[in-house]
Amino acid sequence: MAFTTELERDSALNLSQAAVGCEFQIKQLDGPSCKQLREIGFCEEMRVRKVSNGRNLICAVCGTRLALSHKLAEQVFVTAL
Amino acid sequence: MSTGENNALPKVALVGHPNVGKTTLFNQLTGERRKVGNYAGVTVEKVSATIFTPHGHQLELVDLPGCYSLTPESPDERVTRDVLLGDFAEEARPDLIINVVDAASLERHLPLTLQLIELGLPVLVALNQVDRAEAKGLRLNPQVLSDELGVPVVACQATSGKGVVQLKQALRFPLPPAAERRWKGSAALEHAIADLSKKLEALGMERPEVHALQLLGDTDYRVKVQPKLPREAQIAAREAAAACIKENLVPEDEIIKLRTQTIRRAITAAAHTMGNEGETLSDKIDRAALHPIGGWFFFAAIMFAIFWSIFRFAEIPMHWVELGVGYTKDWVGGLLPEGDLNSLLTDGIIEGVGAVVIFLPQILLLFLLIGLLEGSGYMSRATFLMDKVMAQVGLSGKSFLPLLSGYACAIPGVMATRSINSNKQRLLTILVLPWQSCTARLPVYAILIPLLIPSVLGQTTMMFFIYFLGTGTALGVAWLLSKRIGVGEAAPHFLLELPPYRLPDFSYVFRHVLDRGLAFLRKAGSLILGIVILLWALGTYPKAPSGEEQDQFNYSAMGRIGHFIEPVVKPLGWDARLGTATLASFAAREVFVSQVAVSFAVEEDEDDEDAFRAQIRTAMTDSRKPDGSPAYPPLTVFSVLIFYIYALQCLPTTAVVQRETKSWKWALAQLAGMSLFAYLAALIVYQGGSLLGF
Repeated sequence: MAFTTELERDSALNLSQAAVGCEFQIKQLDGPSCKQLREIGFCEEMRVRKVSNGRNLICAVCGTRLALSHKLAEQVFVTAL
Repeated sequence: MSTGENNALPKVALVGHPNVGKTTLFNQLTGERRKVGNYAGVTVEKVSATIFTPHGHQLELVDLPGCYSLTPESPDERVTRDVLLGDFAEEARPDLIINVVDAASLERHLPLTLQLIELGLPVLVALNQVDRAEAKGLRLNPQVLSDELGVPVVACQATSGKGVVQLKQALRFPLPPAAERRWKGSAALEHAIADLSKKLEALGMERPEVHALQLLGDTDYRVKVQPKLPREAQIAAREAAAACIKENLVPEDEIIKLRTQTIRRAITAAAHTMGNEGETLSDKIDRAALHPIGGWFFFAAIMFAIFWSIFRFAEIPMHWVELGVGYTKDWVGGLLPEGDLNSLLTDGIIEGVGAVVIFLPQILLLFLLIGLLEGSGYMSRATFLMDKVMAQVGLSGKSFLPLLSGYACAIPGVMATRSINSNKQRLLTILVLPWQSCTARLPVYAILIPLLIPSVLGQTTMMFFIYFLGTGTALGVAWLLSKRIGVGEAAPHFLLELPPYRLPDFSYVFRHVLDRGLAFLRKAGSLILGIVILLWALGTYPKAPSGEEQDQFNYSAMGRIGHFIEPVVKPLGWDARLGTATLASFAAREVFVSQVAVSFAVEEDEDDEDAFRAQIRTAMTDSRKPDGSPAYPPLTVFSVLIFYIYALQCLPTTAVVQRETKSWKWALAQLAGMSLFAYLAALIVYQGGSLLGF
């Protein structure tokens, strides 16, 4: 499920960079904490809304608010809806 | 608690994510009759009850610790996995699983449902929070979902009791058969599962296919040491996974992909969204509660309210306890003739235990308030806010709740560290937690502070300083230790669910508070009772030939021990009495007060604890050294105070730390480290103060 090239990964939008208040679809999870992210509810093709930024950011997945660090958000790749 | 008596009963386990309403449903199904115990070998709470189905069958219902998946991160989740896999020797495998699922958040909850079905056990899905899902514009068809998952699905709303009867009716006998796995993998994956199953069967393992799937689907389960799993099984699984990877198949990725596809298919068939979710009440509250600046005011106001109410409201029941102790002492004293037995019961047991039980109201109130904060959903927000502060010293936001509990009592605080995912951060939190000023220190402060400062405002400021010093030291030491332990590199990233705000489940909170209260009373009735009897005996025997109370202390075994250790405590400015009182309170710091009272032969005033403390203070103020100077000048009192702020002096805490860290090394290192720290701090205060001319 990983990106095939570094360029592809670097040019994709991740949840850490995504704009607050917008809705996205999770395209891919890529990084060492995928398992942890999947367990709490981040899965490919799910919709996610970024609620706030900060040291830890907040987003809404399936009507549930989840707080996560930027390091984790960088492993969630999204596309704008 | 052993389940021995229920061995013959069919066992039903409640399984679901944390915060999904599992406990509320448990209470609805059982009518709140429950037994609380521990799973053998781990300090994970086991909650169970015996219930009757509408058809008259009796069964045991077990509320398993909440988990997001069967690939666990914390000790609680590991218990759930091991019990469900049947690997927990002391705990029978359930006969049926009730999987509690949040109807409003199916995509997040169904991955666990699929994993449970794959265990080969009958599963019944309780589709909870259907009212919330409908309010969000979600239309669900439980029958279609049931067809998709191959297991019965019952819609319910645990908070209002809706659907609970239907859920009970679904627990009919014979229990439904286990459903088949809902997905079929590629030929290579299916071959790997079948092949590994055969190898596990040859190793004599029960449920080989279930274990094979678990081993191929969870890297940690096959790589990290698992006490409940044979090493040979892990070796076989690693070989199987390596063979798959050679064929460009990562088994865990493939399994996740197949589960995700199955879930998407089920949701598409069974759920329809009728409209978009608008801004909820939780969102509106969060705008204030999580505001970068306003959120901190909100937080500070809540913390202030907690501490204010503890000191303001707990006074009333504390006075009742005081009166109760006084009357009991009078009554028992009147029943028996004067003598050693009378003295043991009244001066030893009732007075000693009473001096500890008096703090029960404060402990109960703090746990009640913490329980309400947790139940309302605000505690997760506090954890989120505090992560910024905690991260500066190497701790996690999840260390906040244990540290807050530490203000009441270190023991539940240490136990609450189980929610911290990183072992190193958890250890660090446990190591510094006893520096939080717990309520057991309050009686010591109540004696010492008025000796230093007469004004009420000054005393309040001093209390604030004590709390600040304790917490400040805990955070400072955490920062220093985090570098040594190497927390930085290993700390997992912050990830936390912020549940919607809601009314707390009051019955659950009250029950929890009651459990804590009973645990405290058990401690007072066992360890502290033992210590007070021992102290009474050491202070009473051998009897002074003169028969005078004033001579008794010096003549007694306790007085002799005090004189023996005097050279050690002299550099702190202490005399034999203070040395003995500190030595006596090494296992439980609360004992300091009764020991000082015994050594000054102060009789407790049964109606007035304040007068009793005032008498102790007068006795201390009036004490003179042989040269006529005061025996306890302010600098000495300050040195004692500093020692009590920093010393561990709590045997049950050391026992719990050993149990939680599974290491005597850490428990004893903490005891030795904190005692030495306290001694050095008191030494520096006294010697430094003396040099400066105080």
